[in-house]
Amino acid sequence: MRNIASLMFTGGLVFLLLVIGAQLAFGHPGMQVGAEYLRVAGPELGAANLVTAILAGYRGFDTLGELSILFAAATAASLVLGHRRSDARRDPTGGLILRAGVELLFPLLVVVGVFVVLHGHLTPGGGFQGGVVLAAAFFLVMLVDPARGLNHALIGWIEGLAGAAYILIGIWALVAKGDFLAVMLPTGVMGNILSAGTLPLLSVSIGLKVGSELAGLMANLSDAEARDQ
Amino acid sequence: MNQIVLPVVLPLLAAFLMQPLARVSGLLARVLGPLVLGLSALILVRLWLDFGEAPFTVAIGGFAPPLGIVFYADHLALMFALAVPVFTLLFWPGLGEGELDPDRRARRDALVLLLAASCTGLALSGDLFNIYVFYELAAVATFGLATLTGTARSQVATVRYLLISAFGSALALVGISILYMLTGTLNLGHLAQLAPHTLQGPLGLASFALMLIGFGVKAELFPLNAWVPEVYATAPARVSALLAGLVSKLAVLVVVRLLVLVFHQPEPAQLLMVLGLLSILTGELAAWRAKDFPRMIAFSSIGQLGIVFIAFSISGDAGLLAGIAVALHHLIVKSALFGLAARWNGSLDALAGAARRAPLAAGLYVLFALSLIGVPPLPGFWAKLLVLVGLAQGGSTLQLFALISVLLVTAVEASYLFRVAVRLYGQSDSPPAPPARWDLGAAAALGAVLIGVTLTTAPVADHLRNVAHQAGNAALYVDTVFPKTVAQKD
Amino acid sequence: MIEFSPMISVEGVIYAGAIGLVAIGALGLVLCSHLFRMLLALEIAESGANLLLVLTGFRGDSVAPIIGYGPAGAPMVDPLPQVLVLTAIVIGVGVQAMAASMLIRIYRTYGTLEMAELRRRMELDTAAAAGIPAPTSAQAPAGGRPLPPVPAFRPTHAARVRES
Repeated sequence: MRNIASLMFTGGLVFLLLVIGAQLAFGHPGMQVGAEYLRVAGPELGAANLVTAILAGYRGFDTLGELSILFAAATAASLVLGHRRSDARRDPTGGLILRAGVELLFPLLVVVGVFVVLHGHLTPGGGFQGGVVLAAAFFLVMLVDPARGLNHALIGWIEGLAGAAYILIGIWALVAKGDFLAVMLPTGVMGNILSAGTLPLLSVSIGLKVGSELAGLMANLSDAEARDQ
Repeated sequence: MNQIVLPVVLPLLAAFLMQPLARVSGLLARVLGPLVLGLSALILVRLWLDFGEAPFTVAIGGFAPPLGIVFYADHLALMFALAVPVFTLLFWPGLGEGELDPDRRARRDALVLLLAASCTGLALSGDLFNIYVFYELAAVATFGLATLTGTARSQVATVRYLLISAFGSALALVGISILYMLTGTLNLGHLAQLAPHTLQGPLGLASFALMLIGFGVKAELFPLNAWVPEVYATAPARVSALLAGLVSKLAVLVVVRLLVLVFHQPEPAQLLMVLGLLSILTGELAAWRAKDFPRMIAFSSIGQLGIVFIAFSISGDAGLLAGIAVALHHLIVKSALFGLAARWNGSLDALAGAARRAPLAAGLYVLFALSLIGVPPLPGFWAKLLVLVGLAQGGSTLQLFALISVLLVTAVEASYLFRVAVRLYGQSDSPPAPPARWDLGAAAALGAVLIGVTLTTAPVADHLRNVAHQAGNAALYVDTVFPKTVAQKD
Repeated sequence: MIEFSPMISVEGVIYAGAIGLVAIGALGLVLCSHLFRMLLALEIAESGANLLLVLTGFRGDSVAPIIGYGPAGAPMVDPLPQVLVLTAIVIGVGVQAMAASMLIRIYRTYGTLEMAELRRRMELDTAAAAGIPAPTSAQAPAGGRPLPPVPAFRPTHAARVRES
C-alpha cells in the first residue's frame, strides 16, 4: 500500500515538474551573467579555459568552501572509522594481472594527473579533476598491496599545507591589493603555462589537497574492517 | 572593511592546519581554536562599533557583482555574524570534558572551526550559490560532530539526518537551476532587481518551494524535522546546543533573505505560515509526551522555530521584528538549556531532587522556562507579544488560527516545563549529577544576558526595530550592491 | 537546436532524464529499507540534480567555453553552470564518502543495515542509556505489569512415546 501511494505521489510530482519545466527555455538560456563572463573573463584573467577562470578567479571563494567541504568529509570519516587494530585480518594482495597492470598504469596516471592539474587554465581540467586522477593512482597501489599502508602523517602534512597555501595566497592578495583572492602576478600571454596570474598556483594547491585527501580517505575506508573479528 | 572576510577565512586556515600542528605541539593545537575564534569576534566587534547607519558590501577578489561574490553587511548580518564566534566559544567542546586522543581532539576542533566559518559565511554572504556552499559545509561539519560520542546509535541517527539533508540539498539544487534558468544570475541583489519581471508565476513558486525544502532541513521545518529528536538525544550536549541554537537560526536567516529580497508574492509567506503552524502543533505536543530531558527540549525547539516561521510570514516590518526577536531569544535560551542538559540527560523522573545538588542550575532552568513560556517582564514575553500583535493586525483567517494555536501551545509549554521544574525541586534519594563547571558557566552567562535584556527592554527594542527596518528594505539592499560595487579601501 | 523530430529535442530529453533521475532517487529513498540502497538512491538523485544544473547552460550549436577551442567568434555555452556543477559534484562526493564510512561502522556494531531494525535498536539503546523504559510494548507490556508466569513445559504423552 505504501509502495503504491509513494509511486502515485512521485508520479504526480514528476508530472508537475515536467509540465513546469516545459515552459523553461532550455537550449536558449538568458545568459545575463554568462554572456558577461564570456566577454571579459579571457582578457581580464588571461586564462584560456573560462571555466577555470571563473572557478579559481571570480568565484574563488566558492572553491575555498568546496575544498573545506571535502576536508570536513574526510576528517569526519576518519573520526567515525577510527584506527585500525594491528591484529586485524588484512585483505589479500592483488593477483598477477592487477600487479602487472598497476606497474604500467601508476606512472601513466601520475603523469596524466600532474598534466591535468598544471594545464587547468589552458585545457579542460583543473585542480579537482587532476587531484582525483592522482588519488586514483595511489588507490591502485593500495589495492595491490593492502598491507603497506599509507603514510598518514605525510598525507596530513601535504593536505594541511596545500590548503593553507590556497588561503595564504588569498591573504597575500588581501594584504597587497586589499581584496581577498584577487589575482596577483602578471597575466602573461594567453596559452602559456605561466599565464593567468596566480590561477595555476591555486590549481596546484587544489590538486595536491584533493589528491592527498582522497587518498587518505580511501586508505581509511579500505582499512576499516566490516565486522568485529 | 575588507577584513570582514577574515572571520570566515581564519577559522578555515586554522582548521586546515590543526591536524599537522597537533603532531608538532599538542598545546598549540588545543589553544589555536579558541584563539582564532576570539580574533574573529574581535574583528567583528570592531566592525560593528565602526558601523554607521548604511550597510556596506565587500566584493571578494575585487570582482564586481554580479560576476564576483559579495559579502553584504547590515545590522542583521553583523549581529548574527558576531553571535557565531561568541556562541562557538561558549560551547567549545574542548572545555572541561576532553578527548584523550590528541588526534581525535585535533579533528574535532577542526570540525568545530569549519562549522564556525561556514555559519559566519551564511550570515554575511550575498550570493545564492555561495550560501548553498556554506550551508553544505555547515551540514558536513555537523554530521561529523553529531557522531562524536562514537556510539552506534549516534551514527544511525546521523545517517538518517544525512539522508534527509542531502536529499533536501539535491532538491535545493533543482530549485537553484530553475531560478538560474529564469533569471540568469545568482547574486541576491541582482535577483532582487530581476524578480518582479521573471519570478512571478508558478515557476518562481516552485523554485522557492524546492529551495525551502533544502534550507528547511536545518531550520527544523515540518515535515523535514524527523531527524531532530534522535540526533539531539544521541549527540554530545554542546554540539546539540550549537545545532539547535546557532545553525538553525542561520538557516532561518537564509530563508528570510530569500523571502524579503526575491520572493515578494503572498504565496511563499502563506506556505511558511502553514508549515510553521504544523511545526508548532507537532513539536509542542511531542514535547509534552517526551520522557527524557534532551528530547523534550529538542521538540520544544521545533515548536519555537515554528513560531519564528509564523512570525516571518507576517508581511512588513512588524513580522520581521517579531521574527528576529523570537529567534534571538530562542538562540540564547535554547543553547543554555542544552548546556544544562549535558549532565541531566537521563529520564525526567531521574531529575528529581536536582535542585538540592545544583541550586544555581535549577534556578537558571526556572528562569529560562519562564522566558520560554512568555512571562512578563522577561524578553520571551515581549517576543511572543510581538508575534501575537502582528498576527492580530493581519486579520486573515489563517493568521487568526495561528494566533489561537500560539496561545494554546503556550499553555502546553507551561505544562511540560513546569512539570520538570516541580520535579527538580522535589525530594529524592539519588539526585542526578550537577552540570559541569563550564556548562554551568555558559548557562549562567546567558542567563545574565537575559536578565540584562529584561532591564533594558526599551533600548534593545528600539535597536531591533532599526535592524528589522533595515533588513526589510530590499531597495536599500539593491542600491548598496549596485552601483556601490567595491567597498572603499581603508 | 538539434532535433530528432519536431517534438523531441536534445534538451527536452535531457530535462526529462534529469527529472526522472531525481524522481527515481526520491522513490528509492522512500521505498527502500536497506541503508546502502538508500545511499545509492541519494546518489542517483544528486546526479539528476547536477544534470539539470548543467543543462541550464546548454546552447545548441555552441562550443566549449575555452578560448581557442572552436573557430574564433563561435558562440560558447554558459560557463557558470559548469562551475556550479563542479562544486556540487565534489560536495556530493564528500557527503557520500562520509555516509559510507558511517555505514561501515553501523554494520560493524549492529550487524545489519535494515533501517527498521536499526531504528528499533537505536531507540532501545537510547532508552537504556537514559535509564527509561523502552518505548516499544514488547519490553514493557501492559504498563509495566509483570507478565503472567509461563507454565513449565510438560511433554505430551505422544512426545514421550516418541522419545522412548
